[in-house]
Formats: sequence, C-alpha cells, structure tokens
Amino acid sequence: MPKCTIDGTEIEVAPGTSVIQAAEQAGVRVPRFCYHDDLPVDGNCRMCLVEIEKFPKLQIACGTPVIEGMVVKTQVTSEKAKEAQKNTLEFLLVNHPIDCPVCDQAGECYLQDQYMDNGLHDSRTVLEDKIAKRKVVDIGPILLDAERCVVCSRCIRYEREVTNTNLLEFVNRGGSTQISTYNGGPITHEYAGNLVDVCPVGALLSKDFRFKMRVWFLKETDSICPGCSTGCNITIDHRDGEAYRIRPRRNVEVNKSWLCDPGRDLYKTIGADRVTAAHRHGGTVAAPSEILDEVAAKLQAAGAATAFLASPHASNEDAFAFKKLAFSVGGRLDFRVGNPQDKVAVRKDQILQREDRHPNTQGLLNLGLGVSGVDVLLADCRAGKVQVLVLQDADLLNDPAVADAAKNIAYVAVMATHQGPHLQAAHAVIPAAMWAEADGTFTNFENRVQRFKRAFDAPGDARPRFEIALALLARLGQPLNAATAGDVFVEMAVEMKTLGDLTHRSLGSKGVIAGGNIQAQATA
Amino acid sequence: MASSVITVNRDTRPGYYPILYGMWLTLKNMLETLFVKGRSATIEYPEKKRNISGRYRGVHLLTAREDGTPKCVACYMCATVCPAECIYIEAGERPEKKIEKYPTRFEIDLLRCVFCGFCVDACPEEAIFMSRENDLVGTSRAELIIDRENLMHRGKLAEVGPGYRPVDHDVRRPVRIAALERLKSEHGIVPGMPNSPR
Repeated sequence: MPKCTIDGTEIEVAPGTSVIQAAEQAGVRVPRFCYHDDLPVDGNCRMCLVEIEKFPKLQIACGTPVIEGMVVKTQVTSEKAKEAQKNTLEFLLVNHPIDCPVCDQAGECYLQDQYMDNGLHDSRTVLEDKIAKRKVVDIGPILLDAERCVVCSRCIRYEREVTNTNLLEFVNRGGSTQISTYNGGPITHEYAGNLVDVCPVGALLSKDFRFKMRVWFLKETDSICPGCSTGCNITIDHRDGEAYRIRPRRNVEVNKSWLCDPGRDLYKTIGADRVTAAHRHGGTVAAPSEILDEVAAKLQAAGAATAFLASPHASNEDAFAFKKLAFSVGGRLDFRVGNPQDKVAVRKDQILQREDRHPNTQGLLNLGLGVSGVDVLLADCRAGKVQVLVLQDADLLNDPAVADAAKNIAYVAVMATHQGPHLQAAHAVIPAAMWAEADGTFTNFENRVQRFKRAFDAPGDARPRFEIALALLARLGQPLNAATAGDVFVEMAVEMKTLGDLTHRSLGSKGVIAGGNIQAQATA
Repeated sequence: MASSVITVNRDTRPGYYPILYGMWLTLKNMLETLFVKGRSATIEYPEKKRNISGRYRGVHLLTAREDGTPKCVACYMCATVCPAECIYIEAGERPEKKIEKYPTRFEIDLLRCVFCGFCVDACPEEAIFMSRENDLVGTSRAELIIDRENLMHRGKLAEVGPGYRPVDHDVRRPVRIAALERLKSEHGIVPGMPNSPR
C-alpha cells in the first residue's frame, strides 16, 4: 500500500491508484475532462496537471500512478499547477461557442464549473473568428453539437470499451477535430443515454430532455431502477412532484456509471394516466377508508376462501406486508405469474439488462411469497373455490390467465397505479403509489438489497402498497407494529435471518448482499 | 450599566401653536395652488403626467431581432433570479442552428411581479427591458398575466418610453476590444480568419 502526500495530507492508497483518485480520497477534486471513473485513462485533455516533487515537469494526475513517498501539490497549493490548468482551460475555450443560454448542459457543465473556479479570463478570440463546426446533428436518441466539444474522447472510449460498438470517432485534425458517427448515422444501441452523461460538456445532449427544464431547478433523489432484475442505482431528477429524467448513480458493484435507455424512459410512466381515487366497479368513486373497510369485511367473511397475488414490481416492504395480510386470513398466496423466477439472473445483453423485467423477483422469492403455486391458485379461482381475490398490482389483470381466473371471483380487489380497461374486471380499486413515490427496498438478481427513497408524493389518494396492506391488517384486527417502510423493514429483518439486523439506514447508498457477511458489507 | 442623560430642548411655545401653523400651511398651499401659476403641488392626472426617470421600472418588454422573432433564447435566467417567481417560460426549437432555442411561452404575472428589475440584470441577451408604463389596469386577473406577444408589442411604449435597461447595448464589446489590443501590444498578434473551411 503506497503512501503519498497530497497538498500536505498523507494518505495510503491501494496499489495502482492514480494521483487523481488518491486526491479524491484526500478530499481534493482535481479538475478534469477526459478522465472518467469507469473508462480507461486517455490523458488527452491536460486539465488535471499537478506538480509532483522530483518530476521536472507538471504531470497529468489521471495517468500517473501513485508510488511510495510521492509528494503531490495540486492546484490548491501549487501556483504552477493552477496556472497550467488555467491556460489549458483557455485553450479548450478558444473555439467554444459560449452559447450557455441555449445549451442544456448549463448548470452541470465542466467547462462552466472550471471557468468559475480557475478561468475567469476574457476571451482572446472574437466570436466571429471561432471555427464553425456542425451543430444540432441528429444521431438517433441524442443530438451532437461539435462546437461545444472539448475533444476529450470520453464518448469514443465509452463506445469502444463499454458497448463495443465503436460508433463514434474523431474526424479532421487540429482545431477542426470533431466527433462524428460513421457517415452521420444514428446511435443504434440501447445505451445511448450514457453518452450524454459521459460527455462533460454540452456536445452530446439528450433529445428527450431537450429544453424541458434547466437542471438547477431539479431536485435529486436516490432510487433504484425498477425496469429489470439488475437493480441499477439511479437518481430521479424532479421538480414540483414531476419527474423530468432518470440518471444513473454510480455503484461499481452493480451498474458502474451506466443505465440503459429503457430504464431512463421509466420516468414517463410516473405521470401518465394515474389512478388517483379509490373506486368501485363501474367507476363510482368512494373514500379510500370506505373501500378499505369493504375489502377488509369481504376478507373477514371469506376467510380461507381468498387468494392473494403479489407482484414482483412491489418492494420488499410491500411484499412483506402483503404476505402478512394473506396469512392473517389464511388465504392462498403466490406471485409467480409468468414464471419470472426462471429469468431472474438471465442476461438480456452483455451490459446491464436482464430478461426478468421485474425489479424484485428475488426479494419475493426470499420472502417466501411463492407458497401456493400460481397454477394451483389460478385453478382454484376458476373452480370457484375462491370468493375474494386481492391483486397487488392491477397490471396482473393484463395477463390472460389471471384475467380468466378473475372472471369467476365474486370480489376482486386491486391496488392500481394506472388507468386502463383492465380495471373493469375489479370490484374495488385502491390507488397505489409508484416506486418513486414511496420508500422501500428491492432485492436484485444477486440478492443485493438496495434502498430507494421517496422523491415526491403520490397523486390524489394513492398510497404506498405496504400502507394499504397495513391499513387492511389493522382493520382485520391483526395490526403490524409499523408505520413507515423503515419500520416494516425492521419487522421483516426480525423474521428473515438472511437480513441480519439490517435497517434502511445501514443499507447505505450501495446496498448490501443479503445472506452473505452482512456485518462486513454494511460497515464497508 | 452606565446611562447617559440626553437633554431635549422641549418646545416651550403654547400647545395651540402647531395647530395654527398647520392651518396656515394648508391655507398657503391652497391659495398657491389656486392663484399662483407653476407652484401647484398636484397635477391634473391623467390629462397631465409626471416626467418619469429613464431608469423607471415599469411593465416589461421583450425585444425582437431584426426579423421580428424574440431575442430571448429561453435560458431561464430571469425566471431563476425572479424573487416573486412570476416568470413562466417554455422553450422550443428554432430552425436556425446557431441559436437553436426560443420561448414558445413567455408569461409574466404582473400581479405577482415586484418590479425589482432583476430579470433585466440577469438577461444575457438583452432581451428583456422595462418600460416607464406604470398605469396598469385590468378587469380580470388573467388580463394581467401577459404573454409573449403582449410583451413584444406593448401599445403604450411609444407614449411612455423605455425604462430600466442595460446601459451599453453591447457590454462585451469593450472587453473584447481590450483583449485584442493587449494581444497586439504584448504579443504582436493580430487574429485573422481561421484557415479551415467553414
């Protein structure tokens, strides 16, 4: 473990750590454009120049590994390094169009940040004399503006190393260098959104987010992508109860810094066509408490002649409360509609996506929600042995087998998020919150329990599913000692040995693999 | 705690004195207003109007380019800085690639506006000015939420004149000229046209 000194702070780092990473660990952020935590080092932008003792010249912090006894002075303590960075920045800005007012990157742009930190020079290039390059080039889901590019090659390395598609390359030379796709063709793979995140400036911008919102208005909430069983860490950017975009959040052990485009698009499902009020068959709106009273009465009356279908879209907390609800009346319980458990770890591609398009199949398996066997349960429904059917997700009614089974049931209660014709099969519709509107945890394919946080309130009367189940349990006279998702998690951890004494808080931002050495992971 | 005694010179004149003085003042002003030309304290509004300062912060204006489109590029700087949160903008795409953004909606809620002029200061494009228009009336609330077209064509502008606005119409020019002169004097460089094709 080599030791080095960065700006007077002595720090011990892992072998092979670069100076830029060591500085980060010492609490100093060296400015950079081309260096990216999850891409190979290129060292072309020359922004991260630092002074290292015994080196005759300034060195790039990203491409210099730390060796024993190294003494580094970054821009914080070295005037020389600061001056070099300032000059580098001026060169990078020579042909920059300075169109921040129209650029969507403004507010999260490395050029802006670093100009404010150590630039603040007057431009020596007249705007009219700058080299004109291609602007607003449509390359599929993203737009390319070559004038704003700082030629850092992050996108090119991403294409080369992460997606293996090599769709972007430099063309021309010198000041006229710009990035381009082959013959201006579109980016075809499902990971194009990452190019926008990887780009430190406004050269690659999302067509979907274009001009929608200035980024400084947006609030960030840590969350988990509900798109498949991989469980990528994400940030939901939202304002006034409306989600505007989803960005990946770095977690080296799950998704690094990447996210697929289908995952990015999931924010669109939050606002559209939501169920906001509890209603009965035919659409007569009723107070939520009235509907809950009715459902509880029906459950009480039916007793064991009930069936509960959980959804792998639900969080662990939702599922646990739902299980308690099913057990309280002794009803049938399962969730494996369409056999998601067979696909939970099957890769859809070589990067992130998995075949199982539910975020929490593994969590529900761990909780033991598959007790009755889904085929037996549905057969009982068809045979008329079941009087009350409770669905944790109204989407289950879109499955022909479930829809067919529901026809024979006297009373079908569903927790629904979205409006649709499928809700007509239900006798009681209880509005439910989506993942962005509730706290909770998902367990991904490798048993990693990861926490997502509530970004904003659910619309109308919609409540998180675990709250609905808790309300029903209270009405059935078997209340669970829990009010929040965190409380439910603690109750769950008491019952499940694999969770140890984990709490929402000790899961941290990176999640913990359940069943492993939980203590060691939680403290790491 | 040490306290210091303040000696106050109390008015020793009798109590009716200020009343008489006040009545005299009123009478004087009344007579002056009635009979002495040019000494009137009031004006015959709305037939006559006061001269208002050129920096007066009245109703806003949006300026236009030569082709009549708004200069505004929907950067949201004014909406960001606005302390009353009265500016609502929606951005859209312009066909011209050099300036690709423009406001499809630009509304100012004049009932919320506190007329601080921060929007004018924040604007990087000199697209929003203020006029000297201050007699603002409407018969409904909706009427005083004024949209882009209204802001670009205020009928009263010719009558009242422009108010608070950036002093120099190209504030960047002196900086640019200074930078070029420094380049020439210090390094002997005169920037020419770039040799690459545009």
